[in-house]
Amino acid sequence: MTRLVDPQLADTVGVLFQRTLKTRYRGSFLGVLWSAVSPLAMASVYAAIFGHVFAAHYGNSLVRYASAVYIGLAVSQLFIAGTAQALPSIVAGSGLLNKIRIPFEAFPLSTVAAYGFQHLVGTVPVLAALTLIDTGDPLHVIALLVPLAALAMLTVGVALIVSGADVFFRDVPYIYDLATFFILLTSPIFYPASIVAPNVLRILALNPLFQIMEELRILILTRSWPELGSTALTLGEGALVLAVGVAAFAAMRGHFMEEL
Amino acid sequence: MIAFDRVRLERRTREEHAQDLKARLFALVTGRYRTPRRKVVLDDITLTVKPGEKIGIIGPNGAGKSTLLKAICGVLQPTSGSVRVDGRVAPMLELGAGFDPDLTVVDNVVLYGVLLGVPRRAIQQRVDAILAFAELEDYREFPVRALSSGMMARLGFAIATDVPAEILLIDEALSVGDESFRARSRERIDSLWNADRTIVLVSHDLGTVRSICNRTIWIAHGRIMADGPTNDVVSDYIRSVDQTAIALLLRAREATAESGS
Repeated sequence: MTRLVDPQLADTVGVLFQRTLKTRYRGSFLGVLWSAVSPLAMASVYAAIFGHVFAAHYGNSLVRYASAVYIGLAVSQLFIAGTAQALPSIVAGSGLLNKIRIPFEAFPLSTVAAYGFQHLVGTVPVLAALTLIDTGDPLHVIALLVPLAALAMLTVGVALIVSGADVFFRDVPYIYDLATFFILLTSPIFYPASIVAPNVLRILALNPLFQIMEELRILILTRSWPELGSTALTLGEGALVLAVGVAAFAAMRGHFMEEL
Repeated sequence: MIAFDRVRLERRTREEHAQDLKARLFALVTGRYRTPRRKVVLDDITLTVKPGEKIGIIGPNGAGKSTLLKAICGVLQPTSGSVRVDGRVAPMLELGAGFDPDLTVVDNVVLYGVLLGVPRRAIQQRVDAILAFAELEDYREFPVRALSSGMMARLGFAIATDVPAEILLIDEALSVGDESFRARSRERIDSLWNADRTIVLVSHDLGTVRSICNRTIWIAHGRIMADGPTNDVVSDYIRSVDQTAIALLLRAREATAESGS
C-alpha cells in the first residue's frame, strides 16, 4: 500500500530536519549569517561590474540594481541549493532504508526544510528591510509571502522528483548540474528582463523562477502591485510543479527498494 | 501475529543493471537494453507466528534469512503472496546503524526512537530511563562519536528494547557490552521473553537459538526446509550440514585419487 501521508512522516521529518540543522549547519548562527551575507556580497560584485550598464533600467540607482540582483540571487539560491541538497538524500539514506521502514519522502522533505529554514532566516529580514525602505508599506512585506509560497512549492516539487530519479540513475546529479546552469541563465538574476528580446522573453517567462523574481521585485522595489493574473499564474505554476512532484514520487516509491 | 501466505520475493541482480541514465538511453536507442535478470530470494514461504512465540531462523549464508526479516518489517514487499503483520515491529539494528555520530547522545535517542516508529513525544519521555539502563547518564550531551563501540551497542540495545513493540526482530549479535551490562541485558531479554512479545531471531549461533527459541525455521535457497520444535530442527540442520561436509570431503578425496592414478 502506498499512502501519500504516513502517520510517522511528520515526526520523522522533524527529527531529520533537526539533525540536518545541527550537523550540517553546526553553529547555525553562522549558517544563517552566511546565507544573508553571501548574496549581499555577490550582489555588490554584480553591481560593481554591470552596474553602470544596467542601473539605467533601475532609475539610474546602483542601489536599486543591487537590490534587484539580491532578490534574484536569494530566489535562485534557495531553489537550486535546496533541490541540489535534496537530490542525493534518499540514496544517502539507503543504509537505514534497508533496515527500517521509514517514509522515503522524509529525506528530501527534511533536507529542503533545513536548507530553506536557514536560508530564509538569513534572507527574509534583508528582503523585508529592502521592502520597507523602498515602499514604506508593511502590506508589501506581508505580500512577499505569496511569491515565497510559490517558490517553496516549486522547490519541494522538484526536490521530490530529482531525489527519486537519483535512486534509479546515479548520474542524475551531473545531469541536474547542467539543468541548473540553464535555469540560472534563463533567470533574470543580474540582467533586467526588459533587455531580453520580446520573442525570447515569452519563452523565458515560462521559467517559474522568472515569475517569482519579477513579482518579488515589484513588491520590494516599487509601490505598485503585481497584476493579479500573474500572481495567480505564479502560484498556479508552483502548485502544478508540487502536484507533479508528489505524483511522480508516488509512482516511483514502489520501486525504490529494488535499487537501494 | 505474523502471517506469510505463499510469499515469493524476487530481487534484481545488481551487476547486470546499468544505473546510469545516459547508458540506459543509449542502450534503449541502440536496442541493446535487456531487462535485468531477477533472483528468487524467498520462494513459496508460508508461515504463521502467533503472538508471544520465540522463533529462531537458521540456515546457510544467502538463504534468505535477513530478507525474511525485511519482509516482516515492511522494508521489502513480496513479489507475490501476502504478508500480514499485526502489531508494531521493532528491528534491532546492528552496531551504530541509525545513529548520527555528530549528534549528542540525547538527540540520537530521539532520532533512533522516531526512526523505529515511536512518536517523538513518547521517546522524549523515555530518554532518562533509556540512558539509565545504558549507563550513559554522564554522556547526555556528548556526541555519539565520542562513545566507545561497547557504549554504542549498549545505547542501541537500550533503545531498541525500550520501544513498545509487539514484535522484535533480531539479526545476529545479542552479546553487547561488558559483563555487568551483559547480565542486565540478559535480564531484560528474559523479561521480553516472558512478556507477550513475539521475537524473531536470525542467528548462526545455534546455541543461542537453542536456549532462546521454542520453535525454529530452517531456510535454504529461499525455501523452508523445516519448521518445528527447535531441538528437532537444529539437529536436522546440523546433520545436513555434516552430510554436506562429508560429501564434499569424499568428493575432494575422489578427485585427488583420480588425479593421482
